[in-house]
Amino acid sequence: MADILLLRRTARTSWYRWAMHTLIFIGFTGLLVFHALDDIISYPFISGYESTLDPWQWLRNLFGGMALAGVCLAVARRLGNRQLKAISRPQDWLLLGIVGGIMLSGFLLEATKIISPNVFDRMTESYFLPEEETDVPALQAYWSARNGVIFSPPASTDADLVAKGEELSANNCNYCHSDTASAFLSRALSTAISPAAQTLNTTHADEYFWYLHIVLALLALALMPYGKFLHPVATPANLAARGGSHTATPPLASAAARKLGLEACTRCGECSLHCSVAPAHAAIGNANILPSEKLVSLRKYADDGLSDHDADAFAEGSRICTECLRCTEICPSGINLQELWLSSKESLKQRELDGPNTTIRQCNALQWAEVLSAQGKSRFEQIKGNGLADKAESFWGCVQCTTCTSVCPVVAVSEAPAKDLDLTPQQIMNLLRMGLKDQTLAARMVWSCTTCYKCQEHCPQNIQVADILFELRQIATERLKERKLTACPLPAATSGRFSDTTRDIQGQGSDSEGGKA
Amino acid sequence: MRYAYFPGCKIPHHLPEYGDSVRSVCTALGIELVPVEFSCCGWPIRHENAVASTYSAVRNFAVVAQEGLPIMTPCKCCFGNLKHALARMNQDARIAAEVGNLLGKEGLRLPEKVEVFHLLTVLDKDVGAQKLKEHVRTPLSGLHVACHYGCHALRPGNVTEFDDPLAPTVFERILTPTGAAMVDWDLRLECCGHPLRGRDDTISDALMRKKLENAREAGAHVVATGCTYCQMQFEQERNRLGESAEQKQTPKAILFTRLLEAALGLKSLPA
Repeated sequence: MADILLLRRTARTSWYRWAMHTLIFIGFTGLLVFHALDDIISYPFISGYESTLDPWQWLRNLFGGMALAGVCLAVARRLGNRQLKAISRPQDWLLLGIVGGIMLSGFLLEATKIISPNVFDRMTESYFLPEEETDVPALQAYWSARNGVIFSPPASTDADLVAKGEELSANNCNYCHSDTASAFLSRALSTAISPAAQTLNTTHADEYFWYLHIVLALLALALMPYGKFLHPVATPANLAARGGSHTATPPLASAAARKLGLEACTRCGECSLHCSVAPAHAAIGNANILPSEKLVSLRKYADDGLSDHDADAFAEGSRICTECLRCTEICPSGINLQELWLSSKESLKQRELDGPNTTIRQCNALQWAEVLSAQGKSRFEQIKGNGLADKAESFWGCVQCTTCTSVCPVVAVSEAPAKDLDLTPQQIMNLLRMGLKDQTLAARMVWSCTTCYKCQEHCPQNIQVADILFELRQIATERLKERKLTACPLPAATSGRFSDTTRDIQGQGSDSEGGKA
Repeated sequence: MRYAYFPGCKIPHHLPEYGDSVRSVCTALGIELVPVEFSCCGWPIRHENAVASTYSAVRNFAVVAQEGLPIMTPCKCCFGNLKHALARMNQDARIAAEVGNLLGKEGLRLPEKVEVFHLLTVLDKDVGAQKLKEHVRTPLSGLHVACHYGCHALRPGNVTEFDDPLAPTVFERILTPTGAAMVDWDLRLECCGHPLRGRDDTISDALMRKKLENAREAGAHVVATGCTYCQMQFEQERNRLGESAEQKQTPKAILFTRLLEAALGLKSLPA
């Protein structure tokens, strides 16, 4: 309950966010319960309730002011934080705009009513029976002096008349009306807009503000089931379902709990601001690397599926995630993001959508050499210039002594390296020396190198063998990504992975079993 | 002896036991660990993007510069990549420029002096075998331990500067004071196979099995690990396979900090 009502989880990461959220939460809830639902709640349960009586009148101002201040803090936060600004979506701004709009239009409605002679006339006609000719002018004088109504021409300021008006007001109005001054914000606003009082009165501005207020409130209600607008319901529900902690096992079936978790995201961006792989996002630019953004793709992935390109971006974001738990620990809504990532990664893997390591094994090394060499160097390679694998001097010293191959643990556990690995490290160095880089990019040795650096450590010629294998993998990854290749474009070779290239180099043929790794 | 503690990404969810035992051992030996909100070391993304990997690592140096502390990590892959990134910044002008640019956007810069240590090195240089021995309350007599070095701390030796890459001794130096017997085994410097986990599980399994069998043949009761990934491979991945009769005889992996905890009398040795 402390998590839901006091927003305890929010307070752990940022007091600013807690203050902002608490202001909106308490303000909005207060207004909803005592004001918007007054027919259902306030009138039946509070004897003598009138919305214009204190404490309801000043409380309404207090609640409205809190919510508006919270919205202002939220806007300032989203604009002030470069990272957060970049990930803010129209939906976030829309929600803040509508909530802020409801508050602002409410204050404007109240302020224009305070200064409006039209409203004064309407009230006196309905609720006041003048007995003498000076009764109405007296009441006008009092309401102008005391409660801020701006008459045109101005009401009399005669002290006797005001005193009489006060008496009349006490007998006729005070049952339902507190001093408008107790609506401290609305009254201050009415003073601020008083220069335009006459125009506002003649154009019946209060009616427009009333419509605006109601339309915005109805709009918020209508948008309630969608996206971020649902979070005031879904977030507490998620927290309640999980007992306030991501580690608690929800009593619901896990699919339903996941769905609830997806809906509970307020897109506050807190997870992304603390994401441990955020630097990778800064370098690569794929929004799916950040948890709050990946959640949007995950929702689409789970509901309608993603296009190939979007699925690839989602897969990249999923792959780069290190499952460090930080987003899950931080999430103020208690969403078990970790569980979502673990299960979506598994799903991507099963569908062979998890990235280049899987894609590259869908065809054999020769097929990939054809595909990749036909398309030439990637933009990445062109910008980057010659890397280790392109520079002749990187392996110029290689004398094919086979030390790299003989110390390689991957070669050692393979019963038939030529069959299982396509190429040995030493053969890769040899191909590179001949300028046949494309032939090596999809070799299984490159993709199944453990990066243990034994080859490099033992090389008598100081060739950076492991760093070169790393680079070949990075180059292939870039080429696949740039060409949007999320699957092998050729039919999988029935003869298996072992390419003609391998045979040529090794001077021996080999029968092979085939298929994907 | 104050260090900015770099647990790496895998400890919080995948191996919390390592984090707990690191903290408990360090507290007992007077090593203060300062928590800093580090980001990923960049090792996991090194397979696909050199700039993203280097920047991930280097950003941590800029963050820790504000604390003015050296970094201590108990993960050998984190250690290795942080050191690798520093080497790349010196060797590759293009990457250095791109990374510098990314740092600049965040208002950060690479500090002139960067110190990164693995926990084994910290224990070796700050505590030492003699002092460790004085702290031992329940000697692990009779236990035969095979130290598993972990590739990314060890190699390439000119980059990591961890220990002699061909004949390291730091791991044994730290565990000998516990009273356990150190086992000499052929594959102690080989890869655990974890880097291929999920990429090529067949080879990953084969590497793991081969190592554990070699440790058993050398008479080890347990294999001591000093790396998050190695422990995950030898414990969790192995358990996932289900144990064959043959595998049941191979030594279980145990985090070296758990061995120290037991020797220092902080916690009993796991069964």
